[in-house]
Amino acid sequence: MAFDPFTLTILQESLRAAADEMFVRLGKASKSPIIYEVLDYACALISPASELICEAQGVPGFTGVLPSAVRSILEKYGAQAMKSGDVYATNDPYSGGGTHLSDVCLIGPIFWDGELVAFAANKAHWTEVGGMAAGSWTTDATEIYQEGLQLPAVKLYDGGEPVGSLIDLIAANVRLPDSTLSDLYAGVAALRAGETRVRELCQRYGVMEFRQSIGEMLDHGERLARLRLGALARGVYQAEGWMDDDGLSDDPIPIRVKVTIDGETFTADFTGSSPQVRGPINGTWARLQSAGRVVFKAITAPEVPNNEGCFRPVKVLCPMGTIFTAERPAPVSTYWEAGAAAVDLLWRALYPIARDRLTVGHFLSICGTSLSGVDDEGRLFVLVEPQAGGWGAGADKDGENGLVAQGDGETYNIPVEVCETRYPVLVEQYALDIVPYGAGRYRGGRGLVRDYRILCRQASLTTTFGRHRFPPWGAAGGQQGSPNGAAIIPAGSSEPVVWSGKLTRYPLRRGDLARLVTGTGGGYKHPFERPVEMIQADVKDGYLTLQQAERSYGVTLHPETLEALQLHRAPGA
Amino acid sequence: MRVASDIGGTFTDLAYLDEETGRVGMTKVSTTPADFSEAVVGTLRKAGVDVPRTSFFVHGSTVIINALTERKGAKTALITTQGFRDVLEIGRANRPDIYNMSYTKPKPFVPRYLRREVHERVNYKGEELAPLNEADVRQAVEKILAEGAQAIAVCFLHSYANPSHEIECGEIVSQLAPDIPLTLSHQITQEWREYERTSTAVLNSYVHPTARAYLDHLERDLTKMGMDRRVLHVMQSNGGSATFESGKRSPINLVESGPVAGVIGAAHVGDLIGEPNVISLDIGGTTAKTSLVEKGTPKITTEYKIEQRRDTAGYPILAPTVDIVEIGAGGGSIAWIDRAGALRVGPVSAGAAPGPACYGWGGDQPTVTDANVLAGRINPAYFLGGEIPLDVQRAEAAMRPIAEAFHLSIEEAAMGVIRIADANMINALKLVSVRRGYDPRDFVLIAFGGGGAMHAGALMRELRVKKVLIPVEPAVFSAWGMLMTDLRRDYIRTLITRTDQVNPARLNAIYAEVEAQALQDLTAEGVREADMDFQRFADMRYMGQEHTVKVRLPAGAIDDRAMPDINERFHALHEQTYTFRLETPVELVNYHLTAVGRVKKPEFRKLDIRQGKLAEARKGARRVNFDELGFAEATIYERERLPLGVAVKGPAVVEEPASTTVVFPDQKLNRDEFGFLHIEMLG
Repeated sequence: MAFDPFTLTILQESLRAAADEMFVRLGKASKSPIIYEVLDYACALISPASELICEAQGVPGFTGVLPSAVRSILEKYGAQAMKSGDVYATNDPYSGGGTHLSDVCLIGPIFWDGELVAFAANKAHWTEVGGMAAGSWTTDATEIYQEGLQLPAVKLYDGGEPVGSLIDLIAANVRLPDSTLSDLYAGVAALRAGETRVRELCQRYGVMEFRQSIGEMLDHGERLARLRLGALARGVYQAEGWMDDDGLSDDPIPIRVKVTIDGETFTADFTGSSPQVRGPINGTWARLQSAGRVVFKAITAPEVPNNEGCFRPVKVLCPMGTIFTAERPAPVSTYWEAGAAAVDLLWRALYPIARDRLTVGHFLSICGTSLSGVDDEGRLFVLVEPQAGGWGAGADKDGENGLVAQGDGETYNIPVEVCETRYPVLVEQYALDIVPYGAGRYRGGRGLVRDYRILCRQASLTTTFGRHRFPPWGAAGGQQGSPNGAAIIPAGSSEPVVWSGKLTRYPLRRGDLARLVTGTGGGYKHPFERPVEMIQADVKDGYLTLQQAERSYGVTLHPETLEALQLHRAPGA
Repeated sequence: MRVASDIGGTFTDLAYLDEETGRVGMTKVSTTPADFSEAVVGTLRKAGVDVPRTSFFVHGSTVIINALTERKGAKTALITTQGFRDVLEIGRANRPDIYNMSYTKPKPFVPRYLRREVHERVNYKGEELAPLNEADVRQAVEKILAEGAQAIAVCFLHSYANPSHEIECGEIVSQLAPDIPLTLSHQITQEWREYERTSTAVLNSYVHPTARAYLDHLERDLTKMGMDRRVLHVMQSNGGSATFESGKRSPINLVESGPVAGVIGAAHVGDLIGEPNVISLDIGGTTAKTSLVEKGTPKITTEYKIEQRRDTAGYPILAPTVDIVEIGAGGGSIAWIDRAGALRVGPVSAGAAPGPACYGWGGDQPTVTDANVLAGRINPAYFLGGEIPLDVQRAEAAMRPIAEAFHLSIEEAAMGVIRIADANMINALKLVSVRRGYDPRDFVLIAFGGGGAMHAGALMRELRVKKVLIPVEPAVFSAWGMLMTDLRRDYIRTLITRTDQVNPARLNAIYAEVEAQALQDLTAEGVREADMDFQRFADMRYMGQEHTVKVRLPAGAIDDRAMPDINERFHALHEQTYTFRLETPVELVNYHLTAVGRVKKPEFRKLDIRQGKLAEARKGARRVNFDELGFAEATIYERERLPLGVAVKGPAVVEEPASTTVVFPDQKLNRDEFGFLHIEMLG
């Protein structure tokens, strides 16, 4: 059939549906909670020229990173050497779309009539890739070699057949080979789904039309992106800040960005940020690229499907060897902290020109939690989860209570009933944390408290909660939010003995209580501007205490009737 | 006399079957939103149904879903376990709109001050860790009543494993507030996941007073006309019916009451023509809905959510619901050009008012219906049998901006709109079929709703189903579908066990217990034991997975020898769904029993359709756009006059007052003895 302008729309919808199908298939078949609950994975179709055609993802961190993985495979093997049914794997953090070793890229070339027409690809956080700690991430690694098995762009399937010796090698180097291999098979199943759909489209429309439409699609994405970019205020926007520390020393880590918007391009330059550090919170080049794209997208066109064209106006600059662009052999297993910090820097820099699309500072950190041990029946257990927390206030709304961080997305918390069934813990509360922070005309959303009482002889807790020392920012007179952190309350006591952002394999015994606390977000505008009726409703609902109403909002309420007894709001305060 | 009544946004439809004569009749009147039962009574009068002779009355309605989406339910309070009142607000904490850095979560249906905690605790095994504190409950109820709440829900942690604290709490609440509607979570669902169960219990209480008032009112009006109270039934989301009494107790089971009827109808049409595998497609004014029926059984989901979209999380309801995919592509869907110049269709719809431009009611946006008029597919003089004369010039005027933007003729632009609407529908149809491991060539597409017959022929050419079938009176097919419904209840229990460690005695005990419960419930609804049909399912997965697949289990006692068979059924289904199987241990997660109370099936008599000449049905000819096959002079036929056993060869259009069937040049159409139209590809 003849090429026409409508085929563009139809193909775009069909390709998007294909990416969604790959995504659903991988998630449902996986055995990794990080995949099926956190949705820490992405699926994409990529052109033979390594351009993103379309992608589906559950979290924003992998936005647009898969094409460079395809490029690295093409450079190493060359298109001529590839054939239908091949699958390539790479998890090298320092090149080819790399993040940390747990995120493994699988790539399958797609042929039609003997001609390479596209690649199907996915990148997913596998349960276990070996290394010094169960779950393959920790707070105290100092070299990549402690963080797991490296797959430097290897060929895993040859013409549809798995390469047995490689599969054996993977199985021998991970703690839970059954889970890890299931993640691999789920990933390959997703590639096959993508391949089937692309071949159908080639058959239906012809290869020529398929290619031509893809070129059109990318141009269309670029036109949309440029339209939105043109509407942003031109200028130079800067922000600087700190990350808590690298887990091995107490030194805060300085970071900075300069964003230039000139109507043609959106340039984010991270030059001047700290050199890479000893601990594993270093970020990677690919993650930094996606940070730039994610924020660009958030302030321009969040609803437009991603493709290479959408990102053509975006330039992300940073010398190599920094906290955001670590080089071998720097450890990177908790790279998401640097990624989140980069997003937050851009967010703060651009906040003044995009208040309608950006809220003020939120709890930001994934708040990675890993509780492991042996239950009373002798079984190894590993509970790995991110935490939800408080978001910042918007220009016309209070912040959200208990929502996953920016680096998460269609990410689900683990239900208490599921958690208690699977792991030897009793959850004693899961509640909003009503702390005296985040006050404003619009309040910061509430962080959460989740209490785990340990029900086995011994267990060990690792946490990596950023923003422990540098809480969420407020704006225009709104207060800052509260920090994230983990507290340990020993059996028989009610007083915490530890309060920290990072815990490294902290030993716990039966009856001990681990309290995981996430931050309340920042407030917007001065709290005295908040109408009294809203404060009365807040106190009635318990979002504020009487004391907070008095101290932060300048309103004394009757403890029973909530009638306003006194207003002590100094003019101009 | 078997009677089905379906209240929709615009029309209230009635279908009835006189079991003595085999006569099927249908009628419709405008919906009466101020008092819905007025329209139901109106249809009965208009159709001249002998009301006291009604042996089975079944009713579908959008009242419950509307009360939810319009937030018109009761002021509801929640009593829950100490430390967990925020579960309803935290939800699953997910952020589906991942690039939106100003996302707003769905607001809980119960405000925080009406969520009261009481001391009590049960663990995952159902063992009591702390008794229910009665003083806490009394205090909670007092506060709740003082705040003027009109309904209460109770949900405690692990009540699916041991409901005794909920029961105890319920007794105290009933003592203190005997008139207040009360939902105990375990009465609605015995599945794990506290947020989902709490949400379900809360929403049930929220719509409880609305549902009760509505069904009471309807019951009063119908019994006044001489209908026996015992024959009154409502359609449930699970595709079966339940008595009015049951519907009033658990109204949350009625949320999808309307849309599922079409799927049930499609399953029965399939049964009637000997095709157990069908895909239903219901194209209305605003949306298209599709669902797959395998071996006569509709697919059921237990992960249903209301108001869930790509960009918002929605609210879960743990009620088994016929799995329907719905997209924003209907006759009223508006075509528009995005900012970078690509053509889009829907999801915004011109709805019933102002409607498509060609209605001449003030709409000036180009819709799919306008495109169909411009393509010659709809006869402008015979829309709703000529009740609404369509204005072709207005359709042209609305389409002109699109034509100009792409430098195309108006006809080409119209074809583009149709093609994009069709592509959206194809993606939905693929979602329920190929993407779940089904080959469309094994299925018959049953198309209905106002626009089903118009698009089905084009969809068939792309989807390659083996046949398209257009039922009689496709515009009111949902009511027809309801005539076919059986009573149905679903029972789901969560208990996680590995298949290689399961004690068959325990398994048998669980099914025996729920089957005893089902027997009791259906008996109470007046079903004889001989008419009951129980089917066992288990939600199973590989150890370590989260998601499950639903495996049909054999009836009768399960012993050690049956386990390998059950395992194999799981492996095969997993492979069909996800393309691979594993060597790892297999887990049973949920035990699911569907209990069906078969009501006497209406017998469809074959119509008295005579053999005859096609020429007698011929009304004329007109130029119709057949997309890539180009324009062709299509012969126009009147459906009612089509003879039996003579194939209509495309290009053709078969007209009836409320629907139009398009037959492409490479297709043929037959009318069968039930009056159904069959479309097949030539050659």
